[in-house]
Amino acid sequence: MAAEEDDKGYRWETEYEKTWEELREDESGSLQASVDSILHRAKKRQLLERVTNVRLGMMRHLYLVIDTSSAMSDQDLKPWRLKASTKLLECFVEEYFDQNPISQLGLLFSQNKRAEKITELGGNPRRHISALQELPSRACEGEFSLQNSLDLALQHLRHMPSHASREVLIVMGSLTTCDPGDVRESIKAMSEANIRCSVIGLSAEVRVCKNLCQQTGGSYNVILDEAHFKDLLLSQVTPPPSSASTESSLIKMGFPHHSLASYKDDKEKPSMCMCHLDSQSSQGFSTSGYFCPQCKSKYCELPVECKACSLTLVSAPHLARSYHHLFPPEAYKEILTSDILIDGPICCYACHSEIVDPHVYVCDKCEQKFCLDCDLFTHETLHSCPGCASVRSLQNVQATASVN
Amino acid sequence: MADSNEKGSSSLLIIILDTNPVWWGRKKASDEQFSLSHCVDCISVLANSHLMLAHKNKLAVIAAHTDNSVFLYPQYPGKKAEAVKLPDDGQYEVFGQVEGQLRAQLKKLIMQDKEQIDEMYDVPEQPSDSLIAGAMAVALCYAHRLEKECPIGEALSTRLLVIKGSEDCPSQYMNFMNAVFTSQKQNIIIDACILDKDSGLLQQACDITGGMYLKIPQLQGLLQYLMWVFLPDPSTRTKMALPPRAQVDYRAACFCHRNLIDIGYVCSVCLSIYCTFSPICSTCQTTFKILGPQKLKRKKKS
Ligand SMILES: [Zn+2]
Ligand SMILES: [Zn+2]
Ligand SMILES: [Zn+2]
Ligand SMILES: [Zn+2]
Ligand SMILES: [Zn+2]
Ligand SMILES: [Zn+2]
Repeated sequence: MAAEEDDKGYRWETEYEKTWEELREDESGSLQASVDSILHRAKKRQLLERVTNVRLGMMRHLYLVIDTSSAMSDQDLKPWRLKASTKLLECFVEEYFDQNPISQLGLLFSQNKRAEKITELGGNPRRHISALQELPSRACEGEFSLQNSLDLALQHLRHMPSHASREVLIVMGSLTTCDPGDVRESIKAMSEANIRCSVIGLSAEVRVCKNLCQQTGGSYNVILDEAHFKDLLLSQVTPPPSSASTESSLIKMGFPHHSLASYKDDKEKPSMCMCHLDSQSSQGFSTSGYFCPQCKSKYCELPVECKACSLTLVSAPHLARSYHHLFPPEAYKEILTSDILIDGPICCYACHSEIVDPHVYVCDKCEQKFCLDCDLFTHETLHSCPGCASVRSLQNVQATASVN
Repeated sequence: MADSNEKGSSSLLIIILDTNPVWWGRKKASDEQFSLSHCVDCISVLANSHLMLAHKNKLAVIAAHTDNSVFLYPQYPGKKAEAVKLPDDGQYEVFGQVEGQLRAQLKKLIMQDKEQIDEMYDVPEQPSDSLIAGAMAVALCYAHRLEKECPIGEALSTRLLVIKGSEDCPSQYMNFMNAVFTSQKQNIIIDACILDKDSGLLQQACDITGGMYLKIPQLQGLLQYLMWVFLPDPSTRTKMALPPRAQVDYRAACFCHRNLIDIGYVCSVCLSIYCTFSPICSTCQTTFKILGPQKLKRKKKS
């Protein structure tokens, strides 16, 4: 079973092909332009490779496991591995909630042969980010334990609803794992529970991790440098294609009213929110907040699962934030500028500038021309084609055509 | 505003003007002293004032039309400036240019419409809404380019001002929200100046990006509102007494009837919203199994 993947060779042999052969100096002797264009093209390729129209299990429950063993004090990433990792992970958490607005995330760490929880699964990015910021103050010590990490993650994820995708992402600097029992048993348990495990290695390939990822349907990668590390993390932001056994369902959700603490209606009494009940501070005691339409419990933030009646509470824009995954704009076609016959300069429809690049990018649907920068911007950030969005007949097509 | 100059930062104002011919036509017919031409006058004053505030300030004006998004200002690069020779009355050259350009481009846009209609035997009814989301997408790309071109050490702050009279276009919801979230990500503020009925979409856009939403009570006073409310940059606004924030309705509209609902059912595959339980999702064709006892099981967990 494991053999079929092996002929791909090691990661560091396949990724990042011989880019140095493409480097050319420009007139001023600078390599910058050349480097930029290689990076751009690599990004463009990444976009093309991303499979569109997959079924997305967008209710994700992800546990992030961070290695804090002595291997993480290594200084091959500046200033040291753990510090560099947490900085990138902060950015990952932001992006994760941006693209998976009604999903949850939790943090675990492993050192001294043990695994411990940092944050509970939850939908509030700020809580995780502040926990991440505190993490580097901890000393990196002892050994990493894969089995204990997996067991702890399983213990929490097994209770998550079956319509959600359940995932573990491990950032591992250590080359060894110190386990109390047979780690293969834990791997089997993960696979049976339908939990997708991915590993990002900071040093070199480790066989047991490769097995883990293969058997649970995750991905295994070893970083080349910090930029590659970031790319690998960001590739985990996109929801995985939901596996066949993940049930789809219609979930009952509440869309709470937000009431402002306005001077107009002082008949409303201040009340305590459900999210800050345990905290000793007076935070959360006010008249403003989101009220569960089913049981009237109050919360400071959305999305949240109501603690009293377990209704998922969201706002309409929360859901809209994810729609672009379902209706991504189609990739533009690359055309040589010299093949376009018009008098005068070719203009980018979106950014209103002359295209001097030898390539022009053309949208199949609206037939407008774009520069490379706008191509990347529309597909990575905007998720709408400016040309198509400006043509009436293409308004509904976009929504219906990409469903089938 | 003074301190922003010292830091060498500049501000880009992108005005999106709704040029829906149906709405403007009706407005003119109802014989209020308010026409597209008057509106362009006001915009020119706003634009010139913005350019005057700081030497490095930049400006773009985009028309959101019924079936297109068109740059009214600046002109397409590479094109020789159409010789609109204005009388040399001591006006700062750029200022005259802005107004001349806006008028020339608008005229072109209207003539194109007219030609199209002249070619047809029976004229189909013109849509009474404009593709605002398209113009917003174009504006964001334009802002993205200027930000990239900005020299290192200089900051460019961008804001969008949407001046709109016609109705919201519901089929643009997805494109519109994409533009709003992109603005939020890029720290671009969306302001809205509404000339007619309230726009639920723009209310949300302004709230999400931290911009001003204002429905103009009296169109004759448009210029005053533009100058007092929308000319100051966001950092100055905090010091001013501006109209209070409106409460924004964030309830969802169901995909089946477009009713606003408090509690609904959401497809776990595509997040489509329905007001009642249905066994199949009409957006993504997924079939659902009925969730019964599972809810109870979940409640028991600690
Ligand atoms: Zn609270
Ligand atoms: Zn409730
Ligand atoms: Zn462009
Ligand atoms: Zn297009
Ligand atoms: Zn309905
Ligand atoms: Zn669906």
